[in-house]
Amino acid sequence: MIQGLIFVIKEGFMGLVRARFSGLVATFTVAISLILLGVFLIITVNFGRVVENLRSRVELEVFLEDALNEENIQKLRGEIKKINGVSEIIFISKEMAILEFHDLFKNEQKDYFETLGYNPLPASFRVKLKEDFQTVTGAEYVFNEIITLKQINTKDVVYRKEFLVLLEKYIKIAIVVGLIVGVIVCISALLLVSNNIKLIIFSKATIIETMKLVGATRFFIQVPLHIQGTVQGFMGGVVSALFLYGLMRLGSVEISGLINVSWKIYWSLTLMGALLGVSGSFTAVRRYL
Amino acid sequence: MIRIHNASLKYATGDGLDRINLEIKSGDFVFLVGPTGAGKSTVLKLIYMEEFPTEGYVVVQDYNSNDISYKEIPYLRRTLGVIFQDFKLLDDRDVFENVAFALRVTGTRSRDVKRRTLRALADVRLSHKSRKMPHELSGGEKQRIAIARAIVNEPSILLADEPTGNLDPKTTVEIMNILEKLNARGTAVLMATHNYELVNRSSKRVVSIKNGRTLS
Repeated sequence: MIQGLIFVIKEGFMGLVRARFSGLVATFTVAISLILLGVFLIITVNFGRVVENLRSRVELEVFLEDALNEENIQKLRGEIKKINGVSEIIFISKEMAILEFHDLFKNEQKDYFETLGYNPLPASFRVKLKEDFQTVTGAEYVFNEIITLKQINTKDVVYRKEFLVLLEKYIKIAIVVGLIVGVIVCISALLLVSNNIKLIIFSKATIIETMKLVGATRFFIQVPLHIQGTVQGFMGGVVSALFLYGLMRLGSVEISGLINVSWKIYWSLTLMGALLGVSGSFTAVRRYL
Repeated sequence: MIRIHNASLKYATGDGLDRINLEIKSGDFVFLVGPTGAGKSTVLKLIYMEEFPTEGYVVVQDYNSNDISYKEIPYLRRTLGVIFQDFKLLDDRDVFENVAFALRVTGTRSRDVKRRTLRALADVRLSHKSRKMPHELSGGEKQRIAIARAIVNEPSILLADEPTGNLDPKTTVEIMNILEKLNARGTAVLMATHNYELVNRSSKRVVSIKNGRTLS
């Protein structure tokens, strides 16, 4: 039995050296399929992240009458907080509004308030929304709830409705395009892998037939082929992960923070490579055993 | 040793075997003759149980086609040696490893593998080419290596499917001499061929097959 185990392991690894060409083609094919899938995954994940980031910036600004005293402001804050969909309220006082104004216009309007002689900017609440409410309908619901409150007029509450409408429109287009591209990528990857499996089947036909004829058991036939399939697929996964990592570094897109690629993607590609390889050898064995 | 009783097998193409009978005893040398497509290879496949009869049965040693389990087939095949017209050698390893392969895949100890492989190579007079690759050999040498691989497990029956089909007359005689020598040592040989000249020159038993039926 030990003699047999040594043989199947040795035969598995020797097979990689013996069938160098078909092994390289198999590894390359798996790598190409996984690079396609990897690029698609990176784009999808990062698109989702960008959308989430843009949506999280959506907020309602509630401008307050100058006449409101501290007590009224706190009361109003409490009432807004109770509205379903509100996650956070930031109070911007009249003084903070001036600082923001300066920050926004830099040096252009430096003496504006001195010339005017008073601060015309109102205090305000910035109302941030919960994730589920970062949509056109969600924001509109919170908007309608706020304007029903006493002391608040419609024109006192503003939010970037047009931006949200535009964002949702582009998200819908992106989802449709993403689905089409995703299907094409998956079909291409499957076609490449199935071709790879045919190649494995073709290259292993004689050896499987010979093994069967001389009385090898299933164990002796299968194990070396599975070792080869797993190693070739794993190598394909490693090549695809290294290629994508290099591409990200080369394009400096990851460093600049434009695209964020989690290590999970690289590990997933490597694991998927090994799985594709072993599934190829399983198919080859099933075809000839 | 081998008994085929009223065995039938139909392929989707319409070809196959129709109630054939054949009996081979220990030490026999039998020619299975017939034109191409007559069913000679199918008879051999029934014996090494690559195919199973739809009617009748095949008995090889202690194994019966009606009740053999899938797991027992490799053990049945270890009692047989099979050679083919196209040799079926593994191009990715040398002569020694091609012959040793039959022992290694059956879990034989390394020490025994070496001893038995060298003996089988000596039987076919190719010890001096043990480190050559198959593509460096002539057709006759390849067939001798295939014979060495078939006999390295010391089978009691040797099945030969058109073993001289690709060889010139001189090499054919060489292969026949080896098969006869093995037979003289007690190995039963069943050789399928359509080379009637070869059969006529010999005084061995002949079984004819035509359109899937045995005639004699």
